[in-house]
Amino acid sequence: MITVTSARKDYGSFTALDDVSLDIPSGSLTALLGPSGSGKSTLLRAIAGLEELDSGTVTIEGRDVTDEPPQRRGIGFVFQHYAAFKHMTVRDNVAFGLTIRKRPKAETAKKVDELLEIVGLDGFQHRYPAQLSGGQRQRMALARALAVDPQVLLLDEPFGALDAKVRTDLRQWLRRLHDEVHVTTVLVTHDQEEALDVADRIAVLNKGRIEQVGDPVTLYERPANDFVMGFLGSVAHLGGQLVRPHDIALERDRATALALDAKVPDSPGVIDAVVERVVPLGFEVRVDLRADSGERFAAQITRRDAAELQLREGETIHARAVGRSSVVDHDPALAI
Amino acid sequence: MRVSRGTRLSLRVVALGYLFVLLAVPIGVILWRTFEPGLSEFIASISTPAARSALNLSLLIVAITVPVNVVFGVATALALVRGRFRGRGLLQAVVDLPFAVSPIVVGVSLIMLWGAGGWFGALDRAGFQVIFGIPGMVLATIFVTLPFVVREVEPVLHEIGQEQEQAASTLGANGWQTFWRITLPAIRWGLTYGVVLTVARALGEFGAVIMVSSGFPGVSQTLTLLVHSRYIDDHNTYGAYAAATLLMGIALVVLLLMTLLDRKRSDR
Ligand SMILES: Nc1ncnc2c1ncn2[C@@H]1O[C@H](COP(=O)(O)OP(=O)(O)O)[C@@H](O)[C@H]1O
Ligand SMILES: [Mg+2]
Repeated sequence: MITVTSARKDYGSFTALDDVSLDIPSGSLTALLGPSGSGKSTLLRAIAGLEELDSGTVTIEGRDVTDEPPQRRGIGFVFQHYAAFKHMTVRDNVAFGLTIRKRPKAETAKKVDELLEIVGLDGFQHRYPAQLSGGQRQRMALARALAVDPQVLLLDEPFGALDAKVRTDLRQWLRRLHDEVHVTTVLVTHDQEEALDVADRIAVLNKGRIEQVGDPVTLYERPANDFVMGFLGSVAHLGGQLVRPHDIALERDRATALALDAKVPDSPGVIDAVVERVVPLGFEVRVDLRADSGERFAAQITRRDAAELQLREGETIHARAVGRSSVVDHDPALAI
Repeated sequence: MRVSRGTRLSLRVVALGYLFVLLAVPIGVILWRTFEPGLSEFIASISTPAARSALNLSLLIVAITVPVNVVFGVATALALVRGRFRGRGLLQAVVDLPFAVSPIVVGVSLIMLWGAGGWFGALDRAGFQVIFGIPGMVLATIFVTLPFVVREVEPVLHEIGQEQEQAASTLGANGWQTFWRITLPAIRWGLTYGVVLTVARALGEFGAVIMVSSGFPGVSQTLTLLVHSRYIDDHNTYGAYAAATLLMGIALVVLLLMTLLDRKRSDR
């Protein structure tokens, strides 16, 4: 377990971390998710000891490490831009932590070979980082971090510098690796899809504060506020409320719409809207709408529903919210 | 920019002619005058006791200057790039001072500091001679060569950033281990280049050194001072040419070494 208590960090008059408290259970893969500049890296680096907190404490597996330097925290850290030791071969990179610890040569060699096999870099032992692709470099960096058997693995946007395909492959791979190795892992990302994809817990950060912590389903279905709702998936403004586009139903008949809407508590009501565009997205269809009030929003409905409705651009339709992902504390000030 | 054939040709002629007149001709003349009487004459001239002593002294000064500049140059570069302290801007400017100040001024200021009547003159009166001794010449040389290592290492430190060092620290390396295993290998080419420039300048320094040297042949003459005194005082023109050729030979070896290292660097 990693416990951060009342962490605060100021850069001049700018507050990067504002009274952050967070528990990260042992063996979990937790994502720190938030927009750029929200303080994710600062928090991660504070856990690693690469950044000193102005106040607050960090404990790792029950040990208070607040005043310990990074080398005595039992961590592994992976940087966005790999931080490969350019003058060393892949083998020497991965062996670095063990060499520093003066482990016997044979033991080090065995461990390095094992790790290179796990990360799929078998046979690359004698290459230099410059001779590897971005994805390979990052896997080398992961092996290097894992070589010292860290209690926690900290990853700062590890796939951020890679192209989309490699990025999705590598995060699946990380997920599987985590299922095998079970090391407590904290992953920083600004990509909600990545967080939902790999993490079993997500902490959402915004402006140096934690907005909500929970498992992906809870955060998606019951966001604590408009910010979390907006950040974890797309939203539509419907009658002054935030609704997920696929939680909007469209009806041809106004009376039917009203009758069905009456069964939904706290609903925004039935909104009459003009169909502006119908966009097929594969399995689903996105319908761009303009309400009488002039407000634009989008609904996402299945292909079959769209076929039944026979939507034509320019006609008026009746929109209502169904089983919406309700925001627990509705605070319009946070709406994005 | 498109340049016509004629312009290109004449530009080339001008550039080559310029280099020829300014560099090749003087060097050629010296070489020619040196080897005109034959190789044995040259060897005899550079192996007189005074010449051997001058060579030794020059090399001794280099041997002291280089390690001092390496240690303090790397430390200063680290402070300039990584440090967050007041007065960093001032330090930046001070480092370049030896480039801006004429070597002769350096010599004069050293005399004012360390000479018998200077601020630290007590040392001199106590019998430890700085001015008109080897320590003064070393000090003068260190002063004029101080910026080379700093200025060569600094941009490399900027370029490599701090992430590799931070990665090393998360892997268990302490500050000292990180420096030896990560920082130093990463800056080694910049450092090498700085050392080469330091050696070349230390060998060739004249103005600052002549001010603080007693100039006795066989005692406190560096190679540059030997060239000067043979020519001016002894009217031994040939001896001056021979010593100059020796000086040039050493510089050439250093330059060659640097080019080889440079080639190795671009190979990687
Ligand atoms: N060394 C620093 N000096 C000044 N401001 C900084 C420094 N490091 C980070 N910040 C600021 O703190 C905020 C949070 O940074 P960071 O934790 O890197 O954000 P994130 O990783 O979420 O994008 C940013 O606005 C950034 O500009
Ligand atoms: Mg960041």
